[in-house]
Amino acid sequence: MNRTLEHILPRVQKPARYTGGEYNAVVKDRSQVDLRVALCFPDTYEIGMSNLGIRILYGVMNEMPGVWCERVFAPWGDMEEQMRQEGIPLYGLESGDSIADFDVIGFSLGYEMAYTNVLNMLDLAGLPLRSEDRSSLSPLVIAGGTCAFNPEPLAPFVDIFSLGEGEDVTVELLELCRKAKDECWSKEELLIAAAQIPGLYVPSLYEVEYHPDGTIRSITPTHGAPAVVTKRIVQDLDKAYFPTKTIAPSTEIVHDRVMLEVFRGCIRGCRFCQAGYAYRPVRPKSPEVLIRQGIESCQNSGYQEMTLSSLSTSDYRRLLDLCDGLQEWCDPNGVSLSLPSLRADNFSWGLMERLQHGRKSGLTFAPEAGTQRLRDVINKNVTEEDILNFCRTAFSGGWSTVKLYFMLGLPTETDEDVLGIADLADKVYRVWREVTPNRSRGVKITVSTAFFVPKPHTAFQWEGQISRQEYERRVKLLRDHMRGRSTAYHWHEADTSVLEAVLARGDRRLADLLECVWRKGAKLDTWNEYFSYERWAQAMEECGIDPDFYACRVRSRDEILPWSVTSTGVSPAFLWRERERAYQGVITPDCRVQCTGCGADKLYPGGRCDAEC
Amino acid sequence: MTNHRLAFSKSDTAKFISHLDLMRTFQRAFLRAGIAIKHTEGFNPHAFVSLPLPLPVGFSSSCEVLDFQLVGPDALEDVPARMNAVLPAGIQVHRCYEALRPVKELAYVNYIVTLEYEAGAPFGADTAIRELLSRESLVMDKRSKKAKGGFTQVDLIPLIARASIEERRDTVALDLILQAQNPGLNPELILAAIRRELPDAAPDFATFHRRSLLDRSLQLWE
Repeated sequence: MNRTLEHILPRVQKPARYTGGEYNAVVKDRSQVDLRVALCFPDTYEIGMSNLGIRILYGVMNEMPGVWCERVFAPWGDMEEQMRQEGIPLYGLESGDSIADFDVIGFSLGYEMAYTNVLNMLDLAGLPLRSEDRSSLSPLVIAGGTCAFNPEPLAPFVDIFSLGEGEDVTVELLELCRKAKDECWSKEELLIAAAQIPGLYVPSLYEVEYHPDGTIRSITPTHGAPAVVTKRIVQDLDKAYFPTKTIAPSTEIVHDRVMLEVFRGCIRGCRFCQAGYAYRPVRPKSPEVLIRQGIESCQNSGYQEMTLSSLSTSDYRRLLDLCDGLQEWCDPNGVSLSLPSLRADNFSWGLMERLQHGRKSGLTFAPEAGTQRLRDVINKNVTEEDILNFCRTAFSGGWSTVKLYFMLGLPTETDEDVLGIADLADKVYRVWREVTPNRSRGVKITVSTAFFVPKPHTAFQWEGQISRQEYERRVKLLRDHMRGRSTAYHWHEADTSVLEAVLARGDRRLADLLECVWRKGAKLDTWNEYFSYERWAQAMEECGIDPDFYACRVRSRDEILPWSVTSTGVSPAFLWRERERAYQGVITPDCRVQCTGCGADKLYPGGRCDAEC
Repeated sequence: MTNHRLAFSKSDTAKFISHLDLMRTFQRAFLRAGIAIKHTEGFNPHAFVSLPLPLPVGFSSSCEVLDFQLVGPDALEDVPARMNAVLPAGIQVHRCYEALRPVKELAYVNYIVTLEYEAGAPFGADTAIRELLSRESLVMDKRSKKAKGGFTQVDLIPLIARASIEERRDTVALDLILQAQNPGLNPELILAAIRRELPDAAPDFATFHRRSLLDRSLQLWE
């Protein structure tokens, strides 16, 4: 272990985050390796190690001969201060080597508020922030993850964005990097060649022009780059790499358990949901494969908790078979199974009985909106009866904690919809009084509201976010009408939601804002300890950026959207049709009832989309 | 039922694994190794392991012990190799044996504290430290969760059974035998005393190593 590091670690909180050495961490012989990769998660160790995508990509890359992929996380402020003071550049956890000397530096972008960490980490590595200032072939800075579906705010900093699922394209890109290195290509040669690989977007090969009103006039590809880059998907998840022998952290992380991904995509078409559109089409894994992988993961990690992960677990066709198969092994081995992401309309007694094996943690459910009218607008396709039945089942089964999640500020929302949330909470309470086997134990109903952020590649990508003042008024309205001691109400502060709305649909000009706010000290913006809206407001003013232009403005159908250069496979025409149906209050059936022609099935050549049948 | 004991060392990156995290690490390692051990009763049973003498974060040690109870047919002599195959880097199990001696007989701990000086050890530091530790009494503030104000006073001298100090070129090595428990003395308090009383001998950095566990008559406790 590095001596300077050894000297500073006793001075920082939770030093085990910075040492590596965990069981199953991959350590390779430097002399047997010709490509070094830093897989960076722009948040702390505890968050990043909880990310299944990071674990998958780590495994995929380290299975490649000659490639050594190491993990890098954002240091907490105390560690960063020590590193800067002692001149320790950002290093890979496995080797302790400075990542500035690596061939590829990849970032996983899960949420917009992590963008300042990307800049901070590049700086901690001792690298110039901007792609154009890094002229040599290595390190190449790449990025992927959900936020890559609007890559533009980070475009000047990142050399290549990878759209969609990384299992296959990452390997292709690394092979290309190896070739470029062997044949001494220039960085520009590599970028031009990379743009020919499906799923890779090279922002420097596109010229963007603007109208005087600030909207985009044109996005022009150069050097033969494609006009639209379509995401990549893994065709057969049963055959895809899954990390059953994965790192067991030596210190507690946020999701400290085995995560078993049961399917990708979602059959629902919730009109606000970026994941629901961006991860299409639905591709399940078979229960047999899942059971085997779940058992192996537990045996290899020593975890005694397992969770099924997907966008909507109760939509998995063979969920009961899967639960039974897993429980046959889990019960005698003392492993508890939990199922998040359940829907109210298909939560059954059968499922609940299986859940009762484990610990009864609270049940969480997201009606998203307070009235049927608004739930139809957003295509949540869940009725009040479904919700109350869900609660009835849960309460009579002995559950006494229910969390209900909603959004405020959805398109067409009125005060009646806001008050509908309080009404619904009250009805849930009454159901509890009616059916609970033990009234003296009490009930806890938690209502949480988030501030709706319109996201790219959704039916609401053209919408304006309501103003902060209006959001705060609606919060107050709801707070004043929330009844009963058994109901607690939590709401999101507006600050980060406003910034998310700016960044989520921002264009390349926001890069200056990101750099400016970072220079003012922004980092770890997802943490209250560090976040300062004041700092962002100042930076926006200095950069002449009007947040309302990005957050609150309603876009017209013919406006060129900054992310139109990327495609999730779902066509913009389909999204517009969904938007019109939203305003008509017409629901769209889920993909199993009827194919709605979103276009994502075309990503799946030879097969048909699993959702229709 | 017999209790079992693992003797292990903790060094390099593993020095920074905290006490609680180390318990969790061992609980999971037993499962990974497929070694059946006694679980706690109750609603949320978990593998029962006990680390009788918590090692402060950042200390290395060649004499850690962990008590547990084998319930399966596994042979004691196989346990170290099977555990070492599934433990994180820096933790190594040397021996697994029946825990015959009770923890309460663990009376003293031998620590090697190495004071590091970038510009070379100051002249006379060893003598000064030797004198400091031979005083009649040396009272320090010690963090305490129970005491009002978060601090309590402790006299270090009665808790030091033996101290030998050796000066080398860039370091001063303190070979200390300190009371282990009720109350135990953390050698960081001795460093704090040096910093307070002998500012000229204050090191740039110090490492702490736990070398051996001793009983009342200063014989090895295992």
